[in-house]
Amino acid sequence: MENFKIIDSRGSACPGPITDLARAYRNSKVGDLLEIWATDKGVRADTQAWAAKTGNEILEVKEDQEKIVIKIKINKR
Amino acid sequence: MVSKLSIILFSGTTDKILSAGVLSQAGAAMGSEVRIFVTFWGLLSFTKGEKKMMLPKEFEQMGPVFMQGMAREHVKSWYEMIMEAKEFGAKVYACSMACGVMGIKREDLDPIVDDMVGAAAFLQQAEGGQTLYI
Repeated sequence: MENFKIIDSRGSACPGPITDLARAYRNSKVGDLLEIWATDKGVRADTQAWAAKTGNEILEVKEDQEKIVIKIKINKR
Repeated sequence: MVSKLSIILFSGTTDKILSAGVLSQAGAAMGSEVRIFVTFWGLLSFTKGEKKMMLPKEFEQMGPVFMQGMAREHVKSWYEMIMEAKEFGAKVYACSMACGVMGIKREDLDPIVDDMVGAAAFLQQAEGGQTLYI
């Protein structure tokens, strides 16, 4: 059974969001979907770098007025 | 293959220690094996007790702006950043020779320090990875 988890890192400065993601990743399994919410502008590039490094996949990047939302699929543990 | 990030933290001013904190935490979150080798002036902030804010002379007048900005942006302290890095396995080492020179004993070091080691031990751990000198 795959899980879906929202990681709310709004208001957290770099490298907070990527650390919150790494923490959620530690408790995830293959097939899980993680969605990170952040306000720090560095999160786009950082999450992409993180996904490339750890072998996971960015499914979607969205931005509205108050936050950046990035959906990540866990392909590798 | 596990990537490695090794930081030689020589500087004693808060701005530079903060950079070391940011990169350690980011590196640890990226899954790298992070090692911080604290030497000379850096050691002044890694002994037990209160961590004083210190800026380089030429930027001293920027102190209040720096502190306000840190608070406004919710930037954590370098100490908290290194603690977060440690949660992912980062290690902090104090340079044994510099400790000797500065009269710092093992028991004087802050609990954030994992061990007192020599340069050869650090270089051996850093080999094949990325090394930064801050």
